[in-house]
Amino acid sequence: MVQERRILYEHLDTPNINTYDVFRQHDGYTRFEKAIAEYQPEEIADMVKEAGLKGRGGAGFSTGEKWSFVPRDIEPRYLCCNADESEPGTFSNRYVLEKNPHLLIEGILICCYAMGIETTYVYIRGEFTLGKKMLDAAIKEAYEQGYLGENVRDTGLNINIYTHPGAGAYICGEETGLIESLEGKRGQPRNKPPFPAVQGVFMKPTVVQNVETLCNLPFIVGNGVEWYTQMGPTYGDARFDPPKADPNTGTKLYCISGDVNEPGVYELDLGLTCTELIEVAGGLRGEEVKAVIPGGSSAPILTHYELDTRLDFTSLTLAKSMLGSGGIIVMNETRNIVDCLLNIMKFYAHESCGQCTPCRWGTPWVRDIVQRIADGDGRQTTITRPKFGVTESGRWGDTGETEEIYEDLDLLENVANNIANVDTMTWNTICVFGIAVSWPAVSYMRKFRPEFEAAIREGKLVTLPVAEATVPPEENYAYQQRIIPKEFADL
Amino acid sequence: MSDEIIQIETPFQFNEENKREFDELIGRYPVKEAAMLPTLHLAQKQAGYISPAVMKYVAELLELTVMKVKDVVTFYPMFFEEPVGKYVIRVCHTLPCALRDCKVVLEHLKAKLGTDIALETNLAKGTTDDGKFTLMKVECLASCDVAPVIMVNDDLYKNLTPEKVDEILAQLPN
Ligand SMILES: Cc1cc2nc3c(=O)[nH]c(=O)nc-3n(C[C@H](O)[C@H](O)[C@H](O)COP(=O)(O)O)c2cc1C
Ligand code: SF4
Repeated sequence: MVQERRILYEHLDTPNINTYDVFRQHDGYTRFEKAIAEYQPEEIADMVKEAGLKGRGGAGFSTGEKWSFVPRDIEPRYLCCNADESEPGTFSNRYVLEKNPHLLIEGILICCYAMGIETTYVYIRGEFTLGKKMLDAAIKEAYEQGYLGENVRDTGLNINIYTHPGAGAYICGEETGLIESLEGKRGQPRNKPPFPAVQGVFMKPTVVQNVETLCNLPFIVGNGVEWYTQMGPTYGDARFDPPKADPNTGTKLYCISGDVNEPGVYELDLGLTCTELIEVAGGLRGEEVKAVIPGGSSAPILTHYELDTRLDFTSLTLAKSMLGSGGIIVMNETRNIVDCLLNIMKFYAHESCGQCTPCRWGTPWVRDIVQRIADGDGRQTTITRPKFGVTESGRWGDTGETEEIYEDLDLLENVANNIANVDTMTWNTICVFGIAVSWPAVSYMRKFRPEFEAAIREGKLVTLPVAEATVPPEENYAYQQRIIPKEFADL
Repeated sequence: MSDEIIQIETPFQFNEENKREFDELIGRYPVKEAAMLPTLHLAQKQAGYISPAVMKYVAELLELTVMKVKDVVTFYPMFFEEPVGKYVIRVCHTLPCALRDCKVVLEHLKAKLGTDIALETNLAKGTTDDGKFTLMKVECLASCDVAPVIMVNDDLYKNLTPEKVDEILAQLPN
């Protein structure tokens, strides 16, 4: 069985690790001291790039690359730490804030040093009252110890960290929504470009980084790039000549919930399969896996045929899904996929910020369609329509066949695809919330179509056995198009 | 926008402690407006909810129009524009909690408190007659490993069953 490798979470359960003294005993702040003693800021940024660290908040964008977009001649620059954690199924940041807040502070310090940043805002979701309290206490200690404030540890650096509470809006997790919210406005995302790296909070260059991403920095600096890149697969992209390395390095705090025996956060090297992860989490609660959501509720669902997919950024993207925030939700054979989709669509309909028409109206529309299917009022039309094809006489023409059309399923796909088209990956909205709506809507419907059809036909929710509910691999669009990435070393 | 539309009854003001905290807050940002959310949180803690008087006060502190403050208050679900109960009970009902039977917990709370579920536009609907509790459904509270969960004011309660809910309600001070 795959073994947990605790790095970020190593000292999570050490008593009093939230205090400076205990944190210090476990190498606390030594990595920051190493960074300022041994490296120039630019060298740290290069190390992060070489380590292949990818953002853990959702987009999976290379952190080093993001830093390279920040113009270093515009002052001041800001760091916003994204602790808004509201993607359903994700809960790893919470434990860092509540139990080991000094680790986050050390990560922030390293980022500030590397980017020449003096002010950091940690945007914590409003419901994390305990997390905010613990972090505030840790920040106070760090000021007392001279790691924050003016002239940090006699290096001439000035670094300040402030916590900023959110107020219950999911969209404030989106980086530009977060910035607007931080500025004291409605958390409505901005049009991009300009990207936050160029014009972010208070229109100044801003680095937005997830808690987990920042917590990786002390270990990259402390143990070196070589050590870091040994964990997790590095794939190669053979379309380039010579092949381009695509690192999925490091560990990931996988959050697993739903129908498993021991839900929780497991820190594992990137790149294990769904099946392995379920095993690590104490095995399935129930008889059979029906479906797995691999990256928070925004990610397209995986069927039981796709459980061999490796849970890393590249593999999941090539399997037409995403690792997202790493929130894995497992569903067993007793679950009804229509019901699950309804739950998720209610969430999105509630959370749309209302700026863009396709999202504002489309999302409740999708919810209403799923609602009426679940209520047994789904629309089904049986019509005789000229189904063109090769006729008996061998010519192209009207075959005269009767087709049963599930009007609501066509409508569902149509509406969702007009918010954001999952096939072409284009969206008609300001932010990618639109994709987060249409991805689940379309993938659930296409991959578990028999269950949707049954609900419409029978006029009530019908939970089919797993084998019947799932579209077979030959008809599964994602399964057909998926690509298994190759290891860089094998190319 | 004209400020006169809003009827102000009793004026609101920060108490000493909150005033001090506000003075510290405002220094963190290059523009005053950015202190909006923390200031509203402080005000709500003191006043119980964001009344028109509170909005007017916050607007004056941050040198904004009242409409601008109202604009923000209406966007965020955590700010209440009506009085709420002494204990606000938030029940998570997103997928991971739904997979762990949050419905049972919600129904139990409804029966036990004898109230409906509050709507964002009608909090009174979910508030008990004695003004002690407000029952609301909320989206994911980021504790899916210990689902189903509820929050009572600032405290999170995990792995709930109807019996545990009874215990929690019983130990709340009056
Ligand atoms: C609708 C939406 C919600 C998001 N919510 C979060 C969130 O709660 N936490 C988070 O860290 N990132 C969230 N993100 C991703 C951020 O936009 C951003 O990519 C991330 O904070 C960047 O940090 P990283 O590179 O360290 O991952 C969200 C994105 C979208 C589109
Ligand atoms: S896509 Fe939706 S959430 Fe994003 S900006 Fe537009 S309306 Fe707001």
